[in-house]
Amino acid sequence: MSAILRKRWLFLILRAALGAVFIWAGVLKFQAPQAFADSIATFRLLPAQLINLLALGLPPFEIAIGLLCVFGFPRRLGTFCALVLCAVFASALASAFLRGIEVDCGCFGSGGSSFSKMWLSLGRALGLGAVATVLYRFELRSTAENT
Amino acid sequence: MSLRVFPVAARDFVGLAVLGTIALTTGVLTNKFRTRPLPLVYATKASRLEQAVARVAASPLPAAPPTETAVLAPPPASLAPAPVDGPALAVPTSPAANVYEIELPEFQQRLAEPGAVLVDARPEIFHRFGHIPGALALPRDEFEVYYPKHRAKLEPYKNQEILVYCQGSSCEDSHLVASALTKLGYTRLAVFVGGWNAWTQQGLPQEK
Repeated sequence: MSAILRKRWLFLILRAALGAVFIWAGVLKFQAPQAFADSIATFRLLPAQLINLLALGLPPFEIAIGLLCVFGFPRRLGTFCALVLCAVFASALASAFLRGIEVDCGCFGSGGSSFSKMWLSLGRALGLGAVATVLYRFELRSTAENT
Repeated sequence: MSLRVFPVAARDFVGLAVLGTIALTTGVLTNKFRTRPLPLVYATKASRLEQAVARVAASPLPAAPPTETAVLAPPPASLAPAPVDGPALAVPTSPAANVYEIELPEFQQRLAEPGAVLVDARPEIFHRFGHIPGALALPRDEFEVYYPKHRAKLEPYKNQEILVYCQGSSCEDSHLVASALTKLGYTRLAVFVGGWNAWTQQGLPQEK
């Protein structure tokens, strides 16, 4: 019983930490939408009509995901969205690597574009994605057990 | 369990779509209240700067300032250049050959010359946190705001060399600002390629 409780506490702490990271990333981008739009443009994946919309919409989305993770309500939604977003970030970075272009991730504010920073960003996206996957699986299992 | 997972995951996808729509709406609405709202269609850094230059060029000249403000203070003696080995490192980068790149030793040498003019093209907040002594803040993203402030200091140097730097070798702001200045009639722009990163890595003096 105590092992299960410990596990629950660990998941709660992990979920809150994941939420805090998303809130922090969202707030930084929300403060400088033009710099974030410039970062998105370096990926050369979206047309000009969508870049600024993404730059305006993604920061509130990240903040909302962070809050959902911290408060855990509605159940699973925060970790699910975090998982999807990390997968999208990692795919975008991987595509930039494959095309051989240097991009500015813009994940935590604008930091200049370089391959070394891209590796760091990819590692971070994969790490956060792994945490979100573990949390989501745990919450799915809890949902299945309760129904 | 896996049979039950798919409907649950499908519901989560619907939740994601709803949350995404609410976030996008919030982002677009809050943008209306920003001091400088983001236009809905993206314009590249270069085209935004071009538009800013066109507006600056079209704006009337300010009233003549007192003569002493047009003369920049010489840089401190602590900025004496390191000895340069071999020939000068200037590399022409524009067809008109008036924007060229220089490396740290040559940059230090030119900075130590009396009357050297130095421009910091990084965002203003970075300039506030620390910059190369004597540098004027002329951020690429706020060119239209800052150029008129420094106009009186810069215009006497239209036919002399102006040094420009940004964060480091991977940033393009120094080249963009140098190019913008050529469009305003400045003829010799030396871009310090290593920028702030190269300067601080050498432990050279900073000003705040």
